[in-house]
Amino acid sequence: MDYSKQIQDIAAKLFAEGKIDVFVGYRMNGFDDNQVPVVINDPKEVPALVFTEKSVFNLSNYLKADHTRNKRVGLVVKGCDSRSLNLLLTESQVKRDNLYIIGIACEGVVDEKGQKMQNCIECIVPDAVVYDEMLGSPRGKKDYIVNADIAGLAVKGLVERREYFEEIFDNCIRCNACRHSCPLCYCAKCCIDQETATIYNGSNTASSAFHALMTWSLHLAGRCVDCRNCEKACPSHLPRIFCINRTRR
Amino acid sequence: MEEVKDKIVSIEKPELIAPPEWKPVIVGILCNWCSYAGSDLTGTSRTQYPPNIRIIRVPCSSRVDPWFIIKALQTTADGVLISGCHPGDCHYISGNYYARRRFLVTKELLKMVGFHEHRVQFSWVSAAEGAKFAQVVKKVTEDVVKLGPLHLYKKENFSK
Repeated sequence: MDYSKQIQDIAAKLFAEGKIDVFVGYRMNGFDDNQVPVVINDPKEVPALVFTEKSVFNLSNYLKADHTRNKRVGLVVKGCDSRSLNLLLTESQVKRDNLYIIGIACEGVVDEKGQKMQNCIECIVPDAVVYDEMLGSPRGKKDYIVNADIAGLAVKGLVERREYFEEIFDNCIRCNACRHSCPLCYCAKCCIDQETATIYNGSNTASSAFHALMTWSLHLAGRCVDCRNCEKACPSHLPRIFCINRTRR
Repeated sequence: MEEVKDKIVSIEKPELIAPPEWKPVIVGILCNWCSYAGSDLTGTSRTQYPPNIRIIRVPCSSRVDPWFIIKALQTTADGVLISGCHPGDCHYISGNYYARRRFLVTKELLKMVGFHEHRVQFSWVSAAEGAKFAQVVKKVTEDVVKLGPLHLYKKENFSK
């Protein structure tokens, strides 16, 4: 899955035709073979764009930032990213007319160790659902696979579940990377940010993490599209998705 | 001066005071138009119910942010009771439908992270149901007494 050449061609064409002001894509991070998101204003920077199975992050997250707001944006989306983009469109956060979307028929991305990510194994809609141009051959919908961990946790007793989540809340450092990386958290002022630390008991205890993460999960209840950008961003590698998945109905 | 200081210290010494017997604290969040009036009727008709409930009045059950429930459980409460108008009777036409959907999700999530389902309870009590309100409070208190004090994620257990 290497669409670097096609994406560079499309981006160069769009800049030449004057259809977009900025392009959001991936580039190599410069010191190993992992990638970082990049926002390009200048057509000269186009050759830096890449897309391989290492392109893990969700780029629709960058549509809520100032450097793309009210501009015409070119964007690369995988299946999961396009679902969150679709939700942003539904909730009137971005204008469809301002976007030129390059959809990818995604074959799954890999993590830093080179293993296929868990959400890609469980992914049921790998193709982009909203796009102007599709790269790769669409693979269609797959059957829903219930996450074995979630199913196992749901049938476990109260005490096991409590221990499991106590460990999660204990290891949380309240950096709020999950909230910042979430494409659906577009509020300019968030209630779990540290500004309101007095309400949320400030210090990073399990108690305050419980309060903040629970509230955050409830704000995403029924909206989460399972892109798992929060898990990718979490420095403590916490499986945050368990909270949200249960509230998806 | 020193004598006074000694006296104060002796008063504040924790071992001189026997640990109090545990009494459950239940936070009741009631809608202004139905359940709060219902609890008022319970009082005026001299119906007895457990005194463990602390009542907070809100304009509508949809005013109850799940944040309130989490905050209550995190601080002092051993149980939370939320009560509103019967479905269809909302003063603001559809507020309690929003509330009902929100509570289902909240309860599911709290169950998932290890709270017993009886810790957080919801009920519909109208302004005419004074006896029912007494029954509901009695039931919630009995459930919480059976479960015992709540220690999970309490603020004071993590004081730094």
